[in-house]
Amino acid sequence: MKEINVGYGNVKKVCIGENKPLVFIGGPCAIESKEHSFKMANLIDKICSKLKIPWIFKSCYDKDCRSAPDSFHGVGIEGGLKILSEVREEFNIPVISDFSEVEWAKDTGKVCDFVQVPAYLCRQTSILRAAAETGRPIHLKKGQFMSPWNMKNSVRKLESFGCNEILLADRGTFFGYNQLVNDMTCLPIMKSTGYPVCFDATHSIQLPTSMGNISGGQREYIPNLVRAAAACGINALFMEVHDDPPKALSDSNTVLDLEYLEVILTHAKAFHNLKMELQNIYGEDNVHKR
Amino acid sequence: MFTKDNNILVKDIMLNLESFPIVQEKLILKETLEKMNQFKLGIACIVNPKNVLTGVFTDGDFRRLLLKEQKPLGQLFMEDTIDVSRKKFISIDPSEKLTRAFDLMESKKIWDLPVTDVNCKIIGLVHLHPVVKALI
Repeated sequence: MKEINVGYGNVKKVCIGENKPLVFIGGPCAIESKEHSFKMANLIDKICSKLKIPWIFKSCYDKDCRSAPDSFHGVGIEGGLKILSEVREEFNIPVISDFSEVEWAKDTGKVCDFVQVPAYLCRQTSILRAAAETGRPIHLKKGQFMSPWNMKNSVRKLESFGCNEILLADRGTFFGYNQLVNDMTCLPIMKSTGYPVCFDATHSIQLPTSMGNISGGQREYIPNLVRAAAACGINALFMEVHDDPPKALSDSNTVLDLEYLEVILTHAKAFHNLKMELQNIYGEDNVHKR
Repeated sequence: MFTKDNNILVKDIMLNLESFPIVQEKLILKETLEKMNQFKLGIACIVNPKNVLTGVFTDGDFRRLLLKEQKPLGQLFMEDTIDVSRKKFISIDPSEKLTRAFDLMESKKIWDLPVTDVNCKIIGLVHLHPVVKALI
């Protein structure tokens, strides 16, 4: 299993891989302002420090996949990257953002320690090439329309463009219309590519565009899914977090209320550690020999 | 009628490297099957980047795989060929007598026998039809 190392310069380095501590990737879906980003980074950092969980601040400068034209689109690349840069300097934590235009990749990679490829764009060759060319580790989300085994094609594309630090994430799979389902077998299947895997809990409970022109969500299932994913051997957990979800400018129906972050991370870490402990005693799962 | 005392060597009748499927370990199974179709042979030889033979995959292996694995065909097609191939296999030296190759193929009930050099690099393939032709 390959490891990926996130963090350049002076920030705390975060290693994601097998037999490593569970890594948390989180923050508000969209960058709303410098003040809000700082507030969230500070509050999440306190929780992660208390729980001794290495973490990466996530927030995006552009939300190009909104359903409605008048939904909040983001603060823009220039202002957004400036805020992310200030967050990493202030808190010494690595930061991640996605990008949805090829020409944004270079600047995103200059600032961000970790570069994310959005699920909807996970098989776009030009996006994958641009992501790989940043030289940063890549967080590649499985498209809701993709089978986990077909993600190997995207992995091979990234590898062919020179990237060999990839984190593969599940964020749910379309189940009919306006609904997602999590097939937990996708985690070991994606892990069989040789790269670590991540579970995106807050997008997994999304009901895509279920409210006409915005997405709904069923937050009540976040804890169940997080425990299940941790038991399946994820290496990182992704959740979007907000201190006041009803007022969140993006994904207000799915972001986790900060109030619950500590307890969910506590559960996740406990399940992750138990999985590692059992694996170290009994070895790898192997009930279907070839 | 076979004349088993003849002195034909494996290297005299083996198929050369351009005449049978040789695939890299990470080629997906679907593409390996296509290569086997292309050459109309029931074997693919799997090699590492140094051309060392690391596995073989045959029509029989594919039949057994289909019956054993319950995964969707789309998923099976995406497997790296090395992961579904046979890692314990026999091969023969090019300087061996062809009669020896024939006996080996008969005893193992196989139609194709990879030929490797002292470093286990693939250098050819003994296919049953040319063997029979040479020995008759």
